[in-house]
Amino acid sequence: MADLRRSRNTDLWIGRLLFVGSFAVLVLIWHIWASGNSPLISPTPVDVLDRLISYVGEGRANQHIRITLQEIALGFAAGAVIGIGLGTLAAEFDIARRVIMPYVIITQALPKFALAPILVIWFGFGQEPKIIIAALIAFFPLLENTYLGLTSTPAEMIELFRALRASRWTTLIKGRVPHAVPALFSGLRVALMLALVGAVVAEYVGANKGLGAQIIVAQGTLDTELMYVAFVLLTILGLALDKLHGLVFRLVMRRLYGRVGATGTGQQPRVSV
Amino acid sequence: MSAVAQEPLPASSSIAIEGVTKVFGSSAGDITALAEINFEIAPREFVSIVGPSGCGKSTLLRCIGGLIAVSGGSIRIAGELVTGPDPRIGYVFQKPVLLPWRTVKNNVLLPFEVSGRPTDADNVKADQVIEMVGLADYLHNRPEELSGGMQQRVSVARALVTEPSILLMDEPFGALDAQTRDTMNGELLRIWSESRTTVVFVTHDIGEAVFLSDRIMVMSARPGRVHDVIDVDIERPRTFANIEADERFWALRRRIREELS
Repeated sequence: MADLRRSRNTDLWIGRLLFVGSFAVLVLIWHIWASGNSPLISPTPVDVLDRLISYVGEGRANQHIRITLQEIALGFAAGAVIGIGLGTLAAEFDIARRVIMPYVIITQALPKFALAPILVIWFGFGQEPKIIIAALIAFFPLLENTYLGLTSTPAEMIELFRALRASRWTTLIKGRVPHAVPALFSGLRVALMLALVGAVVAEYVGANKGLGAQIIVAQGTLDTELMYVAFVLLTILGLALDKLHGLVFRLVMRRLYGRVGATGTGQQPRVSV
Repeated sequence: MSAVAQEPLPASSSIAIEGVTKVFGSSAGDITALAEINFEIAPREFVSIVGPSGCGKSTLLRCIGGLIAVSGGSIRIAGELVTGPDPRIGYVFQKPVLLPWRTVKNNVLLPFEVSGRPTDADNVKADQVIEMVGLADYLHNRPEELSGGMQQRVSVARALVTEPSILLMDEPFGALDAQTRDTMNGELLRIWSESRTTVVFVTHDIGEAVFLSDRIMVMSARPGRVHDVIDVDIERPRTFANIEADERFWALRRRIREELS
C-alpha cells in the first residue's frame, strides 16, 4: 500500500517535471525562431511578455477582457438553460425527444459561425451577435450530456422509485438528476470552452471591443505583438474558466457524495466535440 | 433491538393469486411466462418460490408487487385487487439498488421522502430498522464504503422502514458469498420473527428455501407453472446448526432437487 502510494506520488512529480521541462523547451524554440525573423512574423517571448505587462498594466486590456467575458458568460448561461432544458425534456418525454432531436441535428449541421454576418446585420456591432453565437455552439454538448446523463440512470433505480410509488417529478429530482450530475458537469465544461471560442470568433466578424476584436485590429495595423498578447490573455481566460468549473464541480460533488472521488463518478467522463 | 420489539406488530396481509397468466409480446411471437398460477399465501407466512432460471418466479413476484400487470387472472392483497405498486409492500431487489450519493440513513429515509418530508417519527423508525439490520455504526456512511452484504442489509432496512405488511424479496442474497448468505438468512429469520410480515422469497437455492420457509412453491419452466407446493414441517426458531443436523432438512432438499430435475 505504501509502495503504491509512493509510486503514484513519484509519477506525479515526474509528470510535472516533464511538463515544465517540455514547455520551457518549446518557449526556447519559439525564442530562437522569432529572433531570426522579422518581429512582423513573430515577436519573441520576451517581447510579448513586455508588451503584456505594459498593456495590462496601463489598464487598456480591462474593457476588452470585460466585454469578451460578458459575452462568454451570457452566451454560456443562455446555452446552459437551453441545453439543460431541452435535454431534460427530451429525456423525460418521448414526444419531446422526437420533436427536439431533428432541430438539434439541423442546428449542428449548420456551421454557426456562418451566421455571424447576418447576426451583425440584425443586431449591429454590439454584444448580441456574439452572445447568440456563443449560446448556439455551447448548448449542444449540454443537451447531449443532459440527455445521456438522465437516460443512463440504471433501470433498477427507476424500478425502485416505481415500487415506492414516486411521481415522475420525484424520480427526476431525487434519482435521475443526481445520477446525471457528473455527465452534466462534463457537458458544462465543454460548453464553457465552446462559448469562449464562439464569442471570440464572432468578434472577428464585426466588433470594436473585446479580445477578438483586438486581434482583428492588431492584424490591420500589422501589430503582431498585440495579437500574441491577446492570444495569451485568451488562454489565461480559458484556463481560469476551466479552473472555476472544476471548483464548482468539486463543491457540488462534495455536497452530493460527502467527498470528491467517493465513487467512480467522481471522475469526469471526457466528451470530445 | 428491544426498542423494535416493543413497537406494535404491523398488520400482515394475505395474498391470493388466482389463474394468473403473463404473456410477453416479442418480435419472435408471444412468450407465455406464467400459465394459470393459483396460490394462496396466509398472513405472516414465509413462502419461497424456487424453480429453474426462466421459470417466471421473478415475473410472478413482480406481478404481486404491482410492478408489471398480469395478462389474465387476478392477484389480491388482503382482498384488494393489485393494480400497481402498493404502499403496503416492501420490495427487496436482486441488487441493493442504493442511491450512491446518499448515506445509509438517507437511503433508508427515501420511502418517506417520496410522499413528503420525513417526520421525527420516520427518523426514529429509520434509526430502529438500521439498528435491526446491524448497521447502527454506519448511519452516515455511503454505500460504496460498505460490503455487498452490508449494502443488501441497507436495502432490507429500506424495505422494512414503512412497516410493510408484505415483504417481497427477489433473490436478495444471490450475489453474496455462501458464508455471508448464511448470516443474512439467519438475520432475516430473526427480523421476520420480530416484524412478522408476510414474506415471499424468490431463490434458486434449495437449501436457503428450506431453511427459511413455511411453504415452498416449486415452479417448472416454459411456461411457468406451479409444479408442487411443499410444507416445511420443521419447528422454529431454526438455526443453521440445528437444521443441518436435521434429517428432515436433507430429505426436503433431496425431494425438491429431484422435482426440479
